[in-house]
Amino acid sequence: MTQRFLSQAELTALVAELVAAKTRVIAPVRAQDNPEQLDYMPIQKLEEATFGAQVPRRSLKEFFLPATEVLLRYVQTKEGVEIKAAPTEAPPFVIFSATPCDASGLDVVDKVMNWDYKDELWFGRREAATIVSFLCAAMDAVCFCTAVGLGPDSFRGSDVLLVPVEGGYLAHIITPKGEALLKGKGKEEIPASAKAAAEVAQSAAREKVEANLAKIPAEFAGWLAKNFDHPLWKTLSLRCHGCGACASICPTCHCFDIVDEHDSSNEGVRRRNWDSCQTSKFTLHASGHNPRGSQNERFRQRIQHKFSIYPAKFGDILCTGCGRCARACPGGMDLPTIVGELMAMAKAEPEGGSNL
Amino acid sequence: MNIYQPYLMSIKEITDETVDTRTFRLEFKDPEVAEKFTFNAGQFGEYSVFGEGESTFCIASPSTRKGYIECSFKASGKVTRALRRLSVGDTLGFRGPYGNNFPLDNVMKGHNMLFIAGGIGLAPVRSVIWTCLDQRDQFKDVTIVYGARSVGDLVYKRELEEWGKRSDINLCLSVDPGGETPDWKGKIARIPTAVEESGVKAEDTFAVICGPPIMIKFTLPVLTKLGFPADHIYTTLENRMKCGLGKCGRCNIGPTYVCKDGPVFTAAQIRALPQEF
Amino acid sequence: MKELQDLARKLLSEGTVKVVIGYEEGPRGARAAFITDPEKADKLIFDTRCVQNLASYLNPRRKQIALLGKPAIVVKGCDARSVAGLLRENQITRDSVVIIAMQCSGVLENPGIESDVELTSENVSVRCGGCDVCEPKLFDHYIKSAHPTVPPVNPKRAEQLAALEKMTPAERWDFWSKELSRCIRCHACREACPMCFCVQCTADKGTPLWIDSSSTPRANRAWQTMRVLHQAGRCVDCMECERACPEHIPLGLLTRYVANSVEKRFDYKAVDDPSVVAPMSVYRPDDDEEFIR
Repeated sequence: MTQRFLSQAELTALVAELVAAKTRVIAPVRAQDNPEQLDYMPIQKLEEATFGAQVPRRSLKEFFLPATEVLLRYVQTKEGVEIKAAPTEAPPFVIFSATPCDASGLDVVDKVMNWDYKDELWFGRREAATIVSFLCAAMDAVCFCTAVGLGPDSFRGSDVLLVPVEGGYLAHIITPKGEALLKGKGKEEIPASAKAAAEVAQSAAREKVEANLAKIPAEFAGWLAKNFDHPLWKTLSLRCHGCGACASICPTCHCFDIVDEHDSSNEGVRRRNWDSCQTSKFTLHASGHNPRGSQNERFRQRIQHKFSIYPAKFGDILCTGCGRCARACPGGMDLPTIVGELMAMAKAEPEGGSNL
Repeated sequence: MNIYQPYLMSIKEITDETVDTRTFRLEFKDPEVAEKFTFNAGQFGEYSVFGEGESTFCIASPSTRKGYIECSFKASGKVTRALRRLSVGDTLGFRGPYGNNFPLDNVMKGHNMLFIAGGIGLAPVRSVIWTCLDQRDQFKDVTIVYGARSVGDLVYKRELEEWGKRSDINLCLSVDPGGETPDWKGKIARIPTAVEESGVKAEDTFAVICGPPIMIKFTLPVLTKLGFPADHIYTTLENRMKCGLGKCGRCNIGPTYVCKDGPVFTAAQIRALPQEF
Repeated sequence: MKELQDLARKLLSEGTVKVVIGYEEGPRGARAAFITDPEKADKLIFDTRCVQNLASYLNPRRKQIALLGKPAIVVKGCDARSVAGLLRENQITRDSVVIIAMQCSGVLENPGIESDVELTSENVSVRCGGCDVCEPKLFDHYIKSAHPTVPPVNPKRAEQLAALEKMTPAERWDFWSKELSRCIRCHACREACPMCFCVQCTADKGTPLWIDSSSTPRANRAWQTMRVLHQAGRCVDCMECERACPEHIPLGLLTRYVANSVEKRFDYKAVDDPSVVAPMSVYRPDDDEEFIR
């Protein structure tokens, strides 16, 4: 892994080069309906982007797992049915100034997407993307990336991580894709002061977010599994509407539905659509039986999947600590606070208790 | 080809098992696939009617027979109703085989087998039964206890007849009290009673059971009473599924994914699951 | 607030209700509270951050809340209209809930953690301007405000509505097509809405399939149009739909626009008197219109 020094002008020129080569460049820009918020949008010039500011409203997930995508097209013919599978190759694109939480989220979800069966649609886009992250220093009181084992300068999921220093940016080149992107750009010689400044900036950022929530201990996953039937689940989610807004903006929520749709009487598509375990019909059987029939069970599933099941299976918490769910929730459900309360319970009753 | 792309299947044969249960025999349209396709008894697939959607059923035919698969279903929802509208020669989609299987080869071989099923629950068990019968000499005693609410609800009637005629199978058919017809020669009892009265011994025996949840609920204590250890009793679980391959996040019971860790489980495994199914 | 807390404590300790649904201080500001212990009644608050319409928690399909027992609910005037709607449409009975109505001077558009934010025409919610239910009429208990004032008017809404009304139908179609292109069919709007209480929503039906469930322009328009028309005459302009929408679609503007149309044509607003019938949800055998007789 190497480092380079890039000036603002060089970064601007790089984006211009990519755009000229018809490569899609995506970066955070001020939202049209609310200039205080950011959205990841395609840009034509670097000046359109807002760097290193707060996390954009929606995650990068939608560029890799769209809200809806066609899996195959079918045509009924006299002989039967012809199907055409969706292409799994995507045109190359570059994401500029991704937050490290968003980039890491992709790395975390890779694990389930590769579990025994490789999801070529997801990986086609993953392979086509080059991700340049930016040191996050604009975390607010809701962020908790370090608590889940990530951080504002995490390398996970990124090809390059930019750290602003005097005169430009120190670029950590993390992968061969990052190397290819910055080949011949910037300087290999980095002033010692810049290296030191970057280290200071990175550790200051980590300290800032560490203050929000303590690191989730490894035993937490097991405690949650052991306390599946704890009475706490009966009152934890009373204010939750089961709306699923949290799942849609979450970088790691990936659950989906598969539906067929007619375009005409003999042609149509099979689609994959975002879905959420928080919705009332997610686990509804055709018989009418629903194993998760109330919000209590559904919210329990959210916590269990993210903080117990996924870590047990894949070694990662299915959460990047970006805090979007807490900001978006219309019902006041606050995941970092809830996780903090559960961790306190786990500490007080390591073997699990029967009282709330 | 992506993992969500189904094989194209042609309906070769349609059998109406009961008023509401139908069996399809399906052949792979691609001869290469037909040649290479294998599965193990207990596995399932996603069967689709293009334009309507996919539905999850087990493969009801034995793994020892090549070139075709069978499924049995009841029309209860959008896709199953669309399946019922199909005719011989029509095309449908199949993704699979998914899930784990009954460990016939490495655990059950050389032992006695007890098959218990109720109603359409015979479909997954039938796959195991025929796979076992196709290698009959590899197993010791074979007992089949099968019943339904009424005579009309019994499925695979031709095969029941066939099994009844074999001397190497102890077949016990029963219908619920009130479900018998005047010429019914089988037992009149619910499955738990039929199992208890079948004379089957627990020693050196593996039980495979599938049927309505209430049937399983009352039959398991009978098996325990007879001396079956929980890890000698196998069943299949159903849960709402979509992808069938562990990615859509829908079918898990706690940390157990029915599509990956199941659908075949022992009673011991089920007892250890969180009670959310 | 003390009056509210005392009342809640009394209702709970006397067993009149088993839970008081109100607002409390959360880690990010005001949030819904479910107080079952009279000792915890002092957690209840009421200030300009109490934006959420709590009436959705009265939906009988929310099993985990119904299990708590008979509720008392804290409502602003606008929320009281939702409770009236639930009563009007027989989702709950009058004796199944104790209504604690608060005299309200308006709420913030974007409440945060700070509790003493004074309302101005810039930070007040767009729906507070011209409010005629600051003193709700539907209640079992009425709690006056210490310093009642008329809420300031946020001009943004009038501007948006005027802009919409100036458009030709084709322009309005384009405007909403563009806004609704972002819809991801998460149905958060529906789940947060107090009046979307159907056991099975038309959008969830598969046989027959009325609306594709995917996020496509055609299906998105169909879904939102259907929802908004189902809300016509029932929506109380609480804007929970817009607050819930993760794509920040101005759903409250759409529902307000339709509510205005209903007012114009039928001289009807969703009111907090359950005995006043709503034009869209009532049928009379001697209706003036022949097609419905």
